[in-house]
Amino acid sequence: MFPLRVVDGLRLDREVREVLLPGAVLCDDYGVPRRLPRFFYEIPTWDDARRIQLGPNFALWEFIQTDVREAPPLRAFPRYVPCAITTLAMCLEQFRTAVGTFVHIAANGGYRSPRHALTCNASPHCWGTAVNVYRVGDVFLDDRESIERFAATARSVLPGVWTREFGTDRGLTDDHLHLDFGYMVSVPRDAPADPLGNEASPGEIM
Amino acid sequence: MPVPPPVLQHDPVRPPHVDALEGLRARFETLERQSGARALAVGVYDTRTHTAFRYHADRWFHAASTIKVAILLGVYAAIHEGRLTSRSRLHVRNRFRSAIDGHPFRVLADRDGNSEVHAAIGKMMRIGELAHHMIATSSNLATNLLLDLVGLSTVQRALDEFGLTGVDVRRGVEDERAFERGVNNRVTADGLVALLRAIAEERTFSPDLSRQMLDVLHAQEFKNGIPARLPRAVRVAHKTGEISTVAHDAGVVYPPNREPYVIAVLTEWEPDATGRSATIAEVSHTVFDALTLAGTGDQDRA
Repeated sequence: MFPLRVVDGLRLDREVREVLLPGAVLCDDYGVPRRLPRFFYEIPTWDDARRIQLGPNFALWEFIQTDVREAPPLRAFPRYVPCAITTLAMCLEQFRTAVGTFVHIAANGGYRSPRHALTCNASPHCWGTAVNVYRVGDVFLDDRESIERFAATARSVLPGVWTREFGTDRGLTDDHLHLDFGYMVSVPRDAPADPLGNEASPGEIM
Repeated sequence: MPVPPPVLQHDPVRPPHVDALEGLRARFETLERQSGARALAVGVYDTRTHTAFRYHADRWFHAASTIKVAILLGVYAAIHEGRLTSRSRLHVRNRFRSAIDGHPFRVLADRDGNSEVHAAIGKMMRIGELAHHMIATSSNLATNLLLDLVGLSTVQRALDEFGLTGVDVRRGVEDERAFERGVNNRVTADGLVALLRAIAEERTFSPDLSRQMLDVLHAQEFKNGIPARLPRAVRVAHKTGEISTVAHDAGVVYPPNREPYVIAVLTEWEPDATGRSATIAEVSHTVFDALTLAGTGDQDRA
């Protein structure tokens, strides 16, 4: 049985709600509104994050490493991560099998909140559906050759995955491989029922 | 509280230490000429006698890594403001934007004095660790990470808060595009002395934060400048700086059984010149003798 409790973000304390923005709407780079996830796994302690495996090769802590630029309420435990994180981990297992070696997720490169200082528009990092991989095995992904090679590998084994192109301009990458699965929202079967019957409350467009 | 400019305090009757310091001027003129340096500047402030000595101390130099003391001040300003703590974690990423045009650049590992921070790329390090590496081993990567985090405006605001002039922070380090266009960090000996004096006198933010900054400066591992020819018992909290055309060292010197003094030695050279560290060490040794050893004989040398 999966050990983490599913919580309704709309019922969390106000200071946490204000940074998770459950069910709120963010616009993407093209101005298209995207609704943020509402349900989250609650992570009681860092020890739990270290202990809980999301797959044979990925532990939960690897997806929640954020630095001082994360919103203060999310720098302390309990912490919250969108339920889609388990699906992301399954996809990364596929990628890990394809490359045949360790896949390292960068700090700030897993889930980060809409209030993280690095969050810009509707980044799938806020949905728990994107990772920045900075190293595969002994290869640091900091040049065109390595980034494009592993991006091609990802696309070959992960149908529908989006990879950021190599480059130095805004929206491109030159020091990591960005993989994301878009604005996927996961609502586990044990998600708490909404007493009002609303699947997602109307959110403010951010 | 603004820091008063370090000017010579004239007592009604000139005490011997003033003459001792003023007697250095001729020696530094000779040293400057004989060393082959293009320029030498020295600033000294003695917290025991409240006197200062200035030799070309208002001349501007490329700051090299001495600018990291100002960035340290900016980091502690952010700590003081509650934006971060020394235990906060920061993503180690080697990607920065030029102050000129925003063009991305990296700090080359083989040009950096520290490999530990480069080894953490992709991971996180604590602010305190990065500050330590920025000063103790002069890590350029740590420096740019910290400056990126707190911002130039925070550093400048902190300098302004304490009335510190003579320290001009324009950009991070290894920003070649800015260097080519002459946009550089600059310091004067006066400026570094005033900055270090504010820290040493525990006037920056709070006594506790000032002492934390001093602890970082005490961890300096490059000791071939100011400390090189001082007695072993003398502690020095300092920061060196060197590029092809300048070599500097600035710090707080703590002789045993005596109040500390602040010293900044700035030098400019032809790119292929030798004897830079020896010149700084000679200046430091000369100042130390003038302030502490007059009439007492020599001591155990490091």
